[in-house]
Parts: sequence; C-alpha cells; structure tokens
Amino acid sequence: MPTGIVESPVKIDPRVAFQSPEVWAKVTGKAIYGGDLMLPGMLYGRILRSPHPHARIKKIDIKQASGLAGVRAVLTGSSIVQKPYGIVIDDELPLAEAVVRYIGDEVAAVAAVSYEQAAEAARLIRVEYEELPAVFDPAEALKKGAPQLHAKFPGNIAWERHLERGNCDQAFREADIVVENTFTVPPIHSTYLEPTVCLAVSDPYNGLILHTAVQSPDQVRTIVARVLDLPLSKVRVIGPVMGGGFGGRVYGNLKLYIIASLLAIRTGRPIKMQLTREEEFLVGRPLIGAELKLRMAVRSDGTILAREADIITDNGAYSAQAPWVSKTLSERNDSVYQFKAIKTKVRLVYTNKVPTGQYRAYGNQAANFATESLLDMAAAKLGFDPLEIRLKNCVRAGDVTVHGLQLKSCALADCLKAAAAEIGWHNRKEGRGYGISAAIHSSGSVVFDKNFRGAAALARLELDGRVSIFSGEQDYGQGAHATFTLIAARALGIPAELITIHTRDTLASPFSIGALGMRQTTIGGNAIRLAAEQLREKIVQTAADMVNEPVIFEGGSVKSASGQVIELPAIAFRYYSLTSGLTLVGEGKYVPAESAYDKSGYGNIAVTYSFAAHAAEVEVDKLTGEIIVHRIVAAHDSGRIINHLAALGQVYGGVTQGLGMSCFEGYLFEGGRVANASLADYRIPTSLDVPAIVPLFIEQDDPEGPYGAKGLGEIVQIPVLGAIANAIADTAGVRVTDLPITAEKVFLALSGWECEA
Amino acid sequence: MSYRIAKNLDSALEALKEKDPATRIVAGATDLFLQEMPARLVDVSSIEELTAIEEIDNRLVIGAAATHARAAASELIKGRAAALVEACLQVGSPQVRNIGTLGGNVVNAAPAADAAVALVALGAKAVLVDSSGVWREEAVARLYSSYNCSALDGCTELLVRFLIEPCGQGEGSAFRRFAARKALALPLANAAARLKLENGMIASLSLVAAPVGPAPTRLIGTEAAILGKPAGEETWLLAAETAAEEVEVRGSLLRCSAAYRRHLVGILTADALRAAARRAAVSQSGSLT
Repeated sequence: MPTGIVESPVKIDPRVAFQSPEVWAKVTGKAIYGGDLMLPGMLYGRILRSPHPHARIKKIDIKQASGLAGVRAVLTGSSIVQKPYGIVIDDELPLAEAVVRYIGDEVAAVAAVSYEQAAEAARLIRVEYEELPAVFDPAEALKKGAPQLHAKFPGNIAWERHLERGNCDQAFREADIVVENTFTVPPIHSTYLEPTVCLAVSDPYNGLILHTAVQSPDQVRTIVARVLDLPLSKVRVIGPVMGGGFGGRVYGNLKLYIIASLLAIRTGRPIKMQLTREEEFLVGRPLIGAELKLRMAVRSDGTILAREADIITDNGAYSAQAPWVSKTLSERNDSVYQFKAIKTKVRLVYTNKVPTGQYRAYGNQAANFATESLLDMAAAKLGFDPLEIRLKNCVRAGDVTVHGLQLKSCALADCLKAAAAEIGWHNRKEGRGYGISAAIHSSGSVVFDKNFRGAAALARLELDGRVSIFSGEQDYGQGAHATFTLIAARALGIPAELITIHTRDTLASPFSIGALGMRQTTIGGNAIRLAAEQLREKIVQTAADMVNEPVIFEGGSVKSASGQVIELPAIAFRYYSLTSGLTLVGEGKYVPAESAYDKSGYGNIAVTYSFAAHAAEVEVDKLTGEIIVHRIVAAHDSGRIINHLAALGQVYGGVTQGLGMSCFEGYLFEGGRVANASLADYRIPTSLDVPAIVPLFIEQDDPEGPYGAKGLGEIVQIPVLGAIANAIADTAGVRVTDLPITAEKVFLALSGWECEA
Repeated sequence: MSYRIAKNLDSALEALKEKDPATRIVAGATDLFLQEMPARLVDVSSIEELTAIEEIDNRLVIGAAATHARAAASELIKGRAAALVEACLQVGSPQVRNIGTLGGNVVNAAPAADAAVALVALGAKAVLVDSSGVWREEAVARLYSSYNCSALDGCTELLVRFLIEPCGQGEGSAFRRFAARKALALPLANAAARLKLENGMIASLSLVAAPVGPAPTRLIGTEAAILGKPAGEETWLLAAETAAEEVEVRGSLLRCSAAYRRHLVGILTADALRAAARRAAVSQSGSLT
C-alpha cells in the first residue's frame, strides 16, 4: 500500500485483502510482457504511415523496399484482400487503399529480419499522394461544403442521436432560473506504460496465434477472424501480462493485430510488432474530444428540473467505439440527479485527425466536468450551498432515473455527506477552495450485446487438490485476479493460496465480452462464484460416493459423518480414475435478467449501478494562476468491497488519472498533426503532482453483485473532474470551461486578458 | 558506433585531435537519446578534474561533469551560490539529476536550462581547452550561438570547469522557475538573481531570465531600473513590471502564450530578487545561508 503522500482512514480488513502473486512478478521484473516475447525465425514488422491529413494515394512504389536485404514482405492495400471492419461502424480497411484520412493512417507494412531493416524498408517505399482539403474542427466539418471523409457518411456525421424524455420545453418554462455554458474536453490518451505490442504466429494447420495483451481477447479474436476470413477455430489470442489498459485497450490496436497477422500469413514466420510511444499517440485511439453546450433549468427552491444538451464529439478519421462512448457521454450523467426531463442532441463528427475511442469511463468524465460545473453555477445563482443542492436532488435507492435506470442499491447521498465531512466542507481553511461532485456509472453493463449479457466461468479441481479458475475476464493491473481469487476461495471455502486464475487464453477460457463496462467483478465475479459453488457441490457428491455416507466440506477439507477425512487430491483422483481422464469441473453461468430497455434506450442497461462523490481542496495562486490540489476525498458506493487492497489501488490510480484529465492532459493539434506525441509534451501528473487521496467506502450490500459487491474501476475517475473544477472556481472566483484547467487559463480568466493563440 | 571512456583529460583531448564531426563528448548523455546518435562517443564523466567541486583561491570551482544531484547536495555551493543549488534541484527528475551534468546543461544549449540560467546570473566563467592544449575562459552566457546551438565546437573543444566568484558578505542569489508540472517539465519561464546589498540598497546585481532568447538573458533594463534602490516590495514590483516589459518572448502551443510567459518572467524575477535579498541580508548579519 502506498504510504507518505496518501492517507486512508479505510481500515484494511485482512479477510478482504489479497495480493495476487502476479504483483510480485511485476515488481521484481519477472513478469513476461509482450515485449519480452521472442521466437526463432521471428521477423519484425513496421508500418508506413500517411504524412498527410487527407490525400489520395496515386501510386505506391515498393520496388526499392522489397529489394532491401533482409526484407521478407511488403504489403500495400492493393496487394491484400481487404475487408472493411470496425467495432461499431465498418469504416476502416487494414491498409489504406485509395485515400488516407489522417496523419498516421496505415499505408503499407513491411516485415524484415531486424527492426532496423524493417524501418529502413518502410522509409524506402515511395508513395505519390495528391493532397486533398482537410478538416480538423468538428464544427467546420458539419458545415456545407466541408471536405467529406467517408462517402457513406454525408455531412461527416458518423452517428447521431436525438433524445427527449419528459417534456423539456415545459420544464424550462417552469424554471425560475436557467444556467447555460459550453464546455470542451480534448481527446485524452490512456497512457498505459506499455506500448501496444503483438507477436503473430501463423501455421497452415493450427492457424493464427496472436500473442497480445488486450482487455477483450475474445472480441479481438472474433474481429480478426472475420476480417482475415479465417475459421474461428483457427484463431487464438494469448495474452502476456498487460502493462496497463485503463479502457484504452479493450480491443488493443486492431489494425496492428490485423497487419501483423497478414504479414505472418504471408511470410510463414512469426511477426513481432510494437508501436512506438509516438505511434501510441498518433494511432492509439484516445478518448473522444467533445464540446458540450448545456442548459439547465432549476426552480428557486433548488429543485433541478431539466437539462438540454447539444453535444458534438470529435470522431477523428475512423470510429472505433466512439458511437458508444458518445452515447454514454451524453446520457449516463443524467441519472445522478432526479431530472424530470432531458433533451439531448449528440453528433459524432468525422475529422482528419487521430481516430478516437475509449478511456476508463466512456466519456462520463467529460459529462461530469460539464454538468457538475453547471450545477455549481446554478447553486451560486440561487445562493444555495453546492452540497445542499446535490443532496436535495441526488438519486436514491429505489429510484427509477430519467433514462429508466432502476437503482436497486444507492448510497450516493451518504457518499456526498461523507466526502463533505472528510474534506472539511463546513470547517474550511483560509485561502482554500472546496468543490464537490457526484457520479453514477453502470456496474456490469449489459447493452453491448442484447443476446450476451452475462459471463461464464469454469472451476476445475486439479489432481493435486488445487483449483484452477478459467474465465474470459481480464486482469490488466486493476486486480481482477486477486478479486476473483477471493470470490472463488469464499465460494469453495478453501484458502486463496490454493486457487489460480487463468484468463488470458481464448482456447482455454469461456468466451467473454471482456474488461469493460465495469463488468469484471459484478458479472465476471458472479460467474466465478457460481462455478466455484457448483464445483463445491460436485466435490461433496464425489466424496460422499467414495465413503458411501454423508459428508460435509468445511475449512478446506471434506469430513464424513463417521469422522473420516477425505482429502481434495483423493477426491480429484477418484473422479479422474472413474472417468479415465476427466477432472471435476464446476460451470458458472451468470445471466443477468433480460434488460427492459426499449428502442430509445430507456430502461435498465446494467446489472446494477455504482455511485461516488468526490470532494477537492485546492489553492490557486492569483499571481500566476497556479493550481495546487491539496486533497481529494473519494467516497464510493461500490457495494460490499471484496478486496480492500485492490479497491484502494483503484481509487489512488483513478483519482490520479482524473487529476490528469482535469489539469494536465489533452491532445494538442497543429492542423491535423498531433503536436504533443510524447510523454515529455503530453504531460500526465508525476508523483509530485498527486495530492493526498482519501478513499472512503460506504459499504452496503447490493442484491445483484457477488457477495454484495459492485464495480469500481471506471467510476473512480469520474467525479474528480467536477470536484476539482468546482474547487478552483470556488477560490479563484472565475471558471475555466475548457479542459485541462491550466495555470495559464486560470490566470487569463482572472486577469481578463485576451488569450493569444 | 564506438564508445570510449576517457580516464583523464589528455586521453579526452587525444580523441578530439582528429576533429571528426562525428565525435561527440558526453557525460550524462541524458539529451543524447533525443537526437541522432553520433558515431563516436567520448565519455568524460569519470575524469576527476571534470567532476570535482571545490573552493580554490576564494573561487568556486565546479567540474563540468559534476552531476546536478552532486551540485544540489554540495554544502560548498549552497553557502556561496545558492541559486545554483536551487536550479540543480529542479532539473528533470532524480534519475536525470543523478547522471545529467552541469557542463551538459550548458553545452546542450537549451535556452531555458535551469542550471545554465543560474550560472549566468552568478557570473560564472567556463574554462575550456581545445585539442591542441590551448586553454581559454569564457562567460557562460557567451557559449550560445543560436537556439539550441552551442558556440562551443564539441569536435575540437572541451568544457572543463566553471568558475564562480562566491557570494560574500551582503551578497545573495536565488533561482525560480514555473512549469506545467512539478518534475520532468521544461519551464514555461525561469529567472535567477544575484545581488549585493549595502545599507539596505542594491549595490550591484545580475538578473537573468529564460527562455527570452537563445541564451539565458541578462535583464539589463531591469537591472538599471532597480540598481541603487532599496531592497523592498516597491523595488521588487518595479522589477516585475520592468522585466515583463523588457523581455522579447515567444509563445508556443506546447508551453504557453507569449503574454503569459512575459507575465511569468516578471513574477519570477521579483521572486528571485526577493529571495536573493533575504539571503544577502542574512549573510550581512553574519551567518551564511
């Protein structure tokens, strides 16, 4: 547990604190990551990328590159069978064929015996381009006559949604005050430590094995098989240890996987490909940038009535998960308060920039920043305390929200009170600013596929009496393996040390949608609990048959009525012997109740919902605008916490990333070029910039989650933004509405200077 | 690529004899990996003459290959040239400070390198020797030819040490910077001051800010405006105003606007002066800080 700069009043209960042995493998440098993988005869792949934001490819000359010593293959769009693909919209090709749409677009790929030779060969490919007019600003892209990116999407609109619930216009007429503002959020990269890497191995009989660390190996397998026209039985994804994902690696980098696979198939040799850090920024699918125009209607007694939104999200050149992210960004946050009516227009717009995707909380962070800022403006206008207006309007257990979410458990009001008490809301330090913000997030989202809502898992009793759990859920540093271990240990009544979790091989584990939508603990954990429970029953049954008398399974061993002890290895062997080779396996199938959401998306979209309230204490130097964040209190309702160690880790990390998004991070563009494509210029907070973080868990049992637990991984980042923004405004007296909130922006707002470009 | 570790000055100079443009002197080499790799590297970081920090004939002598970490921890420098300690403490990160050197900080010629800014304000002289054994002294400020370009010919010449007149009684120095995060960030602006007080009046001073030009830049106008004035708030505010007016600054997408940078130069100049004057006052009352 971190010490020193962080403090926690959370008492770690040793019964609910488990550290996966993998953590030690990582900190001692023994864990095997994708970059460590080598195979005999392995080739290195490199990609030639477009230097233009928008251009027609007139000619590609690969002669010189192909002739270079050590080069084994050069692929271009016209030399392979191309099939459009995408995650939501099929708007990409493995290699650009006629047109490139952003700086970084994949034009050709090379495999050579060394990384250097591959890079040299890529440089020797001659591409003749005819530059086309490009558009970088989504508002410009929407205008008539703007350059068009995709013929199938006239007007550059990739996806849009118009939604009204309740009577919004009437609510605005009834309002005593209306507050409005426009908020902007730049694209944000997950900045996982390990750049994306894969090793593709192809042989004619076994098919394709893709070694890569990804949050959803099963979905990657399905997409790669579809794009490459391979039988599913011939595609396998095996994950080495992952160096961070944070939602940015649900699909890893599909294009890299597809190109590596194509090169492996073409050459018959293993292909290793790794993005450089610069490429991570150029093509790594950051969270969509957004502009949110919001209006809020409030009554003079502090009752929030309605919210109107006109949101434009910046898709970049291709879509990835951006439609889903746009949907969550424009909608989820509405269920924090008891809105009577909502009217939302959201448009996802193509521009000639880096294609975007997802990061940690599906854009709910951006919505939190905007809505919580606006709510404080309303509170100020009415002379209401920001805490009081939130307590007056926040959702409660049993509520059905404006979008139809059914809240079976909800301790949001308690979170608000706890965060406020801990930060010293009513006992403020001189010269400090205080802000508070609230959040909801789906815990176990079931909307990704209406026909696939849950998860399955297997629990196998090994011949030595230990237990192996097979699950398609993923641990990418968030501690899922430790949490699953605790769940299985509890269901089986055996020590955690006897359990091993296997999740990273699509051949061995049941299919899973993957680590997204805060479904690991809630959905995946339930499947593991059920699998372990069934294995437990089978153990008892087999033991009873062995001794021909009733048995009980208690304290890790099985005892018969007459006092015989039957050890687990003996039970395992008995079944193995009886069946000539089978082992005892418990199957867990967790299928959440059918979702009741209708065509408009109204209804329950997740197994349950997690809640949080964060409070921030900051200081602003009025001479320079410098922001010093002193403390962040993070109060969470994630149900009953399964693993306090992992939960604390999530809060420390998530709050830090929230701080990054609030005050430090964001893509900067010069035209279509990413101006800060390095960790020197894309500034994430350093350990010195991280304030004291105080996690608080308001623990109540949730009726759906395993042992009362709900998800935590994504929601930890969400309320940080509103809390910091509001605390800065509280002390500075001015409000910055475009992220990140930097010293310069605060200073310019304070001084009233015009900002120079 | 060849990598030679020079054990003494002679062997380092020997390597420069060929005047090969592909030869490069390195010590910490922390900036090297950001550039195209030269074919021949000569590592001077273990030459004793280049790493010593000492006081000789009432002058601070700091080897060019002294690391930022060692300079920052040096009691000798702390007592006599506090601005340099403050600057060295804020370079990069602990890892960079542990191997990056003062000489490298100057020869790499970044316009706002923290240690270089402090060295210029302290009036440091660089001692150089060329491959034929000819020695010369040059003011640190004169070692810059243009943006990110050193005036030193690294294929023929070696920076050996810095010489600083220590702050005596009634003298003090200080360094201030402002950056977008607390470590591993180039400063939006930085400033350093050295001054001498006599009867509460500024008797002499040297003020430097960056990035204002290719080299750490003396704020001549500000120096003139406050010379002879009493050490106090009114003077510091005048310095802030004058400095902000005086400097030529550029804005950049990655750092900040020109207007904000100009404002920061003023604030930092006043802060550095304030701290330097406090040190000067303390030293006058007897104890060195």
